[in-house]
Formats: sequence, C-alpha cells, structure tokens
Amino acid sequence: MDYQFHWRPVIQALPDLLKASLVTLQVSLIAMALGLMIGLVLYFFRASQLRVLRGFGSTWVEIARNTPSLFQIFVFYWGLGEFGIFLSSYTAVVAALTFNCAGYMAETYRGGFNAVNAGQDKAARTLGMTRFQSMRYVVLPQVLRAIYGPMTNQFTWVILASSLGMLAGLRELSGETQYFNSRTFRTFEFFAATAVIYYLIAKMALLLMALLGRPLFKAERAKS
Amino acid sequence: MKNTTVLGAFGALALLGATLATPAAADKLDDVLGSGKLRCAVVLDFPPMGYRDANNEPAGMDVDICKDLASRMGVDAEVVGVTWAERIPSLISGRTDVAIASSSDSLERAQTVGFSIPYMVFQFQSLLPADSEITEWDQLKDANVGVAVGTTYESELTDYSAANWPDGKGKITTFQAENDTYLAVSQGRVEAGIATDTAIANILQSDSFSNLKAGPVAPFGADIVGFMTQRNEFGWINYLNLYINHAYRDGTLGDLYETHIGGEMPDLTTVGVYY
Repeated sequence: MDYQFHWRPVIQALPDLLKASLVTLQVSLIAMALGLMIGLVLYFFRASQLRVLRGFGSTWVEIARNTPSLFQIFVFYWGLGEFGIFLSSYTAVVAALTFNCAGYMAETYRGGFNAVNAGQDKAARTLGMTRFQSMRYVVLPQVLRAIYGPMTNQFTWVILASSLGMLAGLRELSGETQYFNSRTFRTFEFFAATAVIYYLIAKMALLLMALLGRPLFKAERAKS
Repeated sequence: MKNTTVLGAFGALALLGATLATPAAADKLDDVLGSGKLRCAVVLDFPPMGYRDANNEPAGMDVDICKDLASRMGVDAEVVGVTWAERIPSLISGRTDVAIASSSDSLERAQTVGFSIPYMVFQFQSLLPADSEITEWDQLKDANVGVAVGTTYESELTDYSAANWPDGKGKITTFQAENDTYLAVSQGRVEAGIATDTAIANILQSDSFSNLKAGPVAPFGADIVGFMTQRNEFGWINYLNLYINHAYRDGTLGDLYETHIGGEMPDLTTVGVYY
C-alpha cells in the first residue's frame, strides 16, 4: 500500500466529530431509556391474561427482534413518509432504536423475572405487602440485578447501531465522518479516528453503567 | 585458467540474475500493461453515468469510457462497482487502477488523490414535484431543499445560500444517496432537490418518478469531473490525460455523450486559463 497518512484534516474536523458524537450519545441514551420503560410494559403485556395485550406485546417483540435495525429505521423514515408522515431524521432514528430496544428488553425482562423465584413474591404478599409493594421492593430489584449485564450489552449495542442513523440523513458520528470523507477523501484517517471515538464512547458507557449499578450489587459485595 | 573461466561464468550469471531480480521501478501503467487487465472503479448507482442494465451488467457512460480506454491499451476491461465512499480505498488498496466515477476535481480532494484533466462537465439543477410553483432559482431561498451529503453541489449550495439568501426561510436537508434525494422530493418531504442535470434527465424518463419535473438550473459553477488514481502515479496520469484528449478530439466522448445523455458534449476547457 503506497499511501501517506495525513492527520491534519481529522484534527481540524475533530470539533465537528465530537459535536456529532454528542448526537450519537443523545440518541442512544434517549432510545435506551425509552426502550427500558416500554420493554417493561411489553413484558407485562405478554404476561397478561388479556389476549389483546398478549398479542400486541408478542407482535412488537417478534418484529423488533427478527428484522434488521436498518429496515426498522427505513420504515420510520421513508416508510411513514410514503403516507405523508414526515418524522425528522432525529425523531425517526430515536423511534426506530427505541422500538428495537424495547423488543429486546422485553425478552431480557422475561429472563430476569424467570430468574427470580416465584416464592419471593408469595412470601412478600404473605407478609402483608400489596402486589405493587412486593413488585417494587422485592421482585424488581432482583430482576434488575439479573438483567444488569444484558442491559449493559444492549446499551452498547444501541450506541453502535445508532450509526445506521446516517442512512436516514442523521448527522451523528458516522454521518459526519462520511461527510468529511467525501470532502477530503482522507477515508482511512477519518474512519480510523471514528472507530477510536466509538470505542471510547462504548467504554464510557460501560463505566457509567458500572457506576450506576453499584448500589444494586451492594449486598453481593458485602458477602464476598 | 580454467578456474577463472568458471568464476567469470558465475559472475556473469550472477549479474544477469541481479538484473532480472531488480526490475526498474514499474509504475501503474506498467502494471496494467503487464497484467493485461484494466480495473476501473465505477459508481453503479449514478445513472446514466454508471448503473446496472436489465441483465445486471454494468452499463453507462463511465463504464463505456473504461472499456474504450482498455481497448486502446490492448487490455481487458474489468469494471469494479463501488460506492462513492469506496472509490479511494479501492484505489489505495490496489483493487482498482483508476476510478472513472464522475468525481469532482476539488482542490481539497486533490491533496489526497491524483486527478486527470476533466472528461465530463455537469450542471447543477433543481428537481421539483410536478405540481410545484417554483419557476425561478431564487424562489428556492424559502424552500426546504434536499441534497446528497458530501457532494460538490451540497457545499456549493450551502455556500451560495449563506452568501445570497441571508434572510431566506428555507433549509437544506442532506441525504446519504442521490436516490434518497429523489425519493424525498417525490414523497414531499422536501420541496426541491438538487442534483446533476444528467441524473435528473435520466430519472425523469423512468416510470417510478412520474410525479417529478426538472426545475431551474443553479447559478453556481459547473461540476467538472476527472479520472482519479494514486497521487504519485505521474506516468499513469499523463497517459490518462492523453487518452481523454484523444477520446475528445476523435469524437468518442461526444458519441458516448450522445448515446447516454443526448445532445452536444459540453466544452471541457476553462476559458482564459491553462490546465
């Protein structure tokens, strides 16, 4: 390979790349937060006695988990556009990632709830807790502990998947990289720099999740 | 006596071997001639310059130029379909010898790759929904205009609207691909799109975009494009330049233009300056 690397264009573009990284982070955080909440609702829907709710939850989970994220982003951006509903790139990408994330989290919650012995709820209720109290103080904290690992994975995955947003015109980190690439043709330099930025963002996310999770695992640390 | 003869023979052999083992530095032109194959990077989703025909074979003006160049060199043409972003990696990694891919010869890009002299000139034009009331270029200043990201017309349009439409209420929406721009105009997501005149003429012929029409031509400069190869391949660039010169003067480029786009081949020179 006969090529001279020049990093100056990358350094000059760095402020713009970092600004775009914030978009990446923002989109991922919002999608993850919404996905966590909707995912829990979907789990309860699927565990419900009502057939309509079960059907709704299962359909969502099936589609979200068994179609490519790229396809889901296209549906929200171009698909809805075909019906005259124009979501901005930002909204469409957040919506698509949330849709996807909620589907995956619903399944993760299911695993988490299965991991908590049914006797726990029964015991709490026998002690006079209401159904809500038992869920809030006894079951959910244990579920959260069980799903914390997969949830962290999911967050990393959302950050990386947000790069698909550039295909719906979102100028997040990848979109911005592509822009500078076609301006300067410094393809290798820009994509290398972006890979490093993605790596750092993902590592930061892991660190953040580890810190947030500390109170959850207090009991376990005390034991060991 | 006998020993020296044997030694001399060995010496001569060694010298011959050394000559064979270290050939004079072969450049890209030598490589192409030696391999008997010219590998061209062509963007195949940019009709009528590059696309795939009904049989899924590469076709278009850029493809035909590659074939013509190869036949004049007496080698086989191999068209390598690339995306806009893959043009440079394909050259640098040695997968292709030249990019004939409608690439604008900006000074910024020329710091990375080597450009030939121009082989084609495009105009920038607006693309409108068929029922649009826009007839003058200046009416676009309050419109939401779509354009493919990283193209020359994106930067030209951005600079132009900043300089000439400071009070404009419009905005520029960027898309990843030309096709996305057409789709956005067709859906009504944007009120107008900007693309090259040839691409617009081409899509207006297709059935899928019957709800579109060509709008006013942009007042900013023409889009001048060249072949690209590695920056240090001077011998190869010289050859490519001479090829373009020949292909223009013997009418080959004009014929290809007539076939693929229709009408008169644009002038490739810039008045008042040497290239």
